[in-house]
Amino acid sequence: MTEGSLVSARLLVFRVGTLACAADVDQVREILPRLPTTRIPGAPPVVAGLVNVRGTLVTVVEGWRALGLPPPSPLPSPESGPAGSTIILELGKGEDAGNEGGGTSKKLIGFTVDEVMDMLAGGETRLEDRKGLPGVDPTLVRAVGRRNGELFIVLDVAALLGPILPS
Amino acid sequence: MSHTVLVCDDAIFMRTMITDILAQAGFEVVGEAETGTQAVEKYRQLKPDLVTMDIVMPDMGGIDAVREIVKQDPDAKILMCSAMGQQALVVEAIQAGAKDFVVKPFQPSRVLEAVQRVLG
Amino acid sequence: MDLSQYAELFLAESREHLSACNQLLLEWERNPASPEPVGGLFRAVHTIKGMAATMGYGRVADLSHRMENLLDHLRRSGRAPADEIIQMLFRATDALEKAVGLAVAGREREADLAVLAEIDRAALQAKPAPQPSGLARHFKESEPPGSPESPSLPAAPAASSGSTRLIEIVIRPEAPLKGGRAMLVVRKLQTLGTVHRVQPAAAAFESDDFDGRFVCELETARPAADIEAAVRSVGDVEGVTFGGGTDESQVSPAESAGGGRTRHIRVDLRRLDTLMDLIGELVTERGRLNDVAARWVGQDPEIDEVAIQISRLSADLQNEIILARMTPVWQVFDRFPRLVRDVARQLDKQVSFRVEGKEIELDREILDALGDPLVHLLRNAVDHGIEPPAERKRHKKDPEGEIVLAAVRERSSVAISISDDGRGIDRTKILEKAKREGVVGPHVESLSDDQLLRVLARPGFTTAESVTSVSGRGVGIDVAMTRIRALGGSIEIRTEPGKGTAFVLRLPVTLAIVRALIAAVGQERYALPLTYVAETVEFGTVPLTTMEGRDAIVLRDRVVPLVDLRKLLGTNGGAPAPPPRRPVIVLEMGERRAGIVVDGMLSQQEIVVKGFDAPQGTLPVFSGATIMGDGVPALILDSAGLV
Repeated sequence: MTEGSLVSARLLVFRVGTLACAADVDQVREILPRLPTTRIPGAPPVVAGLVNVRGTLVTVVEGWRALGLPPPSPLPSPESGPAGSTIILELGKGEDAGNEGGGTSKKLIGFTVDEVMDMLAGGETRLEDRKGLPGVDPTLVRAVGRRNGELFIVLDVAALLGPILPS
Repeated sequence: MSHTVLVCDDAIFMRTMITDILAQAGFEVVGEAETGTQAVEKYRQLKPDLVTMDIVMPDMGGIDAVREIVKQDPDAKILMCSAMGQQALVVEAIQAGAKDFVVKPFQPSRVLEAVQRVLG
Repeated sequence: MDLSQYAELFLAESREHLSACNQLLLEWERNPASPEPVGGLFRAVHTIKGMAATMGYGRVADLSHRMENLLDHLRRSGRAPADEIIQMLFRATDALEKAVGLAVAGREREADLAVLAEIDRAALQAKPAPQPSGLARHFKESEPPGSPESPSLPAAPAASSGSTRLIEIVIRPEAPLKGGRAMLVVRKLQTLGTVHRVQPAAAAFESDDFDGRFVCELETARPAADIEAAVRSVGDVEGVTFGGGTDESQVSPAESAGGGRTRHIRVDLRRLDTLMDLIGELVTERGRLNDVAARWVGQDPEIDEVAIQISRLSADLQNEIILARMTPVWQVFDRFPRLVRDVARQLDKQVSFRVEGKEIELDREILDALGDPLVHLLRNAVDHGIEPPAERKRHKKDPEGEIVLAAVRERSSVAISISDDGRGIDRTKILEKAKREGVVGPHVESLSDDQLLRVLARPGFTTAESVTSVSGRGVGIDVAMTRIRALGGSIEIRTEPGKGTAFVLRLPVTLAIVRALIAAVGQERYALPLTYVAETVEFGTVPLTTMEGRDAIVLRDRVVPLVDLRKLLGTNGGAPAPPPRRPVIVLEMGERRAGIVVDGMLSQQEIVVKGFDAPQGTLPVFSGATIMGDGVPALILDSAGLV
């Protein structure tokens, strides 16, 4: 992914814990409230479980765990219902599946966030080619941007979530 | 009112293509047959305005089917579907009472011309 | 006209015909004097030719045309062909199959047509001496065609009513089958009067050399203009010249046909899949409706009635669609006789191959996935099961071995067995090897069928000279086993030294919707398809024991090892303590059994099986997931993974 294509992209900005993050809108299928999840035995702790998105089963990843952030406090209690949102992301988009078998190379994966904040159009922000912020794994960061004076990181969704689902 | 057609060919592929060509031109394909015997039977049941008939079919071939159908109905309008190299068979089919023929590979325009000729 | 939309249909149908070709060649090979196979072969190849020409696949059309030509000669000669001709036809069929595949993939140019030369050579040899054709037998020289024996000749406006004219007709040079066109002209002229003579004789029309130019002598009262119009109405007429009458080409208006029509339509398989998905959704929603109805039935009993009605309707709908997906096994099995023959020939073995239960039906998706595993197992049976003829003779066996592929419908599954009457698997050798590789403990003295299969199916369990008798057995088996397991099925093996080996595959009849038990484990729910559920018992009401260090129960004198789902799935945090009398679900797959200990049984219901992308590390005991009535997913346990 080149810097040029990045700058022209529209970004969805959201908050996980205290960290402001963004993802390329083209990779976002939809934004849903937090859904009841079903635990998948054996899966790593970063996987919150399986959810039903209108009949399709989607694995959901716990945002704060994936980013290596401290757990939110207080932990959402089962009674009050989980707060925040689930962003449904599309992985492997743009890869040419070819004609053979028509197999879909696209995978859906959910990512939990505390709050969806904004949608930024291409020209609205300047992105810097910085490898992240202190305390965030630089391999997960594609660039750093600024919104209302606040820094946010543009996540490399494939690097972050790709390894969780086997190809 | 649209003309009714019985399509006889042992290949679904051919039946599909002929049906598509005719349906697009406003004909109503009322039946399909895979063998000569079926063709004769369905002709009796359906009394279609037009029959398209493949020459080579299992069980009873197209030419024998033409003979049987014409025996039932001397006015039957049968269009043979032939392939290159089947000159003798086509001549025999016409002799048996087929009204016209088209040659594979089909061009829709030629098929429709032949159909018009047969239906007058 | 956009032809690409027909490509799939072309491929599917060509494959059917190619499969028929292989069957017919096998039959012909067994019985070269039989006249039936060649007729069927001719038709199949002819059909492929016509379809390929229509699709514009020149090479496929050419290859099939030349095969057709050869077959036509063979058919006419009426003699039994030499074996090498049949072998060559097998090769030609293979080449045609490849060419068909390449053509559809847009790579027709890569098709290998080396076999063409052989076909043409054989055709030349097989060409029968020229003899009067069918038409020549019908007419004598110069006799007007359409003679009295022809039934459809309403000898029209009678003769003697006018003058006799000579008419020269030229058919367009580019017109195909000019002789056919000429014959139509003659027939047309016969509606106007009496045709006394045709020059050249009508018999010439059936020759490919006919140039489209001919003269008719017509006795008619009609004016020249009418005759010319009638002749031109036949189409593809370039010129009409006279040396003589009119007729509206009178065609009776068609009467519309009456009822009694049965109609078939073709349905794209993907449509069927989508329909199945939608019905799956409907079944899920029906579950929700039932939940709601159960809560409201006190207020308004009508809601219950509606819910029941909807349940009934959606069940009917579901059954219909499941039936629409069912496909008889012959659609896959029919290519195996050829496969077995080829492998047997390669290995110089004599094998008779029998297929039973061809009409048994399975879900199309299961059947499609079954092809490869069966190929593996059949190859193994020929290669490693059946002994060479000399060895069989030494053991006083028929030099010709037998392999039987049989499908049998069982309670809610289909069993497919591949059995051979070969040498069987040498357990002692396998055991030695398994010990050496540490697959089994050093103190194990014999392998049960079950243990044997586990050893053979280990991906790493390769073969060495010491196990020649089964060399390679393991290679296909791990692949086959994985596939079958992924379909929710199981494999079993039975083998006896000197007597033979049988593999039995058990498969669910349909994949998409299954009846399942919904079990509670802690606060979680899991679905367990009923396909392999034998019974349920209560923990504490049956005697306990241990088996190979595992807890087990004794059920009617059989020891059934237990699997505690709580432990297996790591269900702990926050879950209440297990109830004292936990249910045990007994699974049975062939000879193998296991008791699955759960916390409670919630319901028995139909579930829609869906796939999910399992994250890294997911325990290998799930075959999919389903969506429960409340909209929350539940994982489906894979019986084969538990037993």
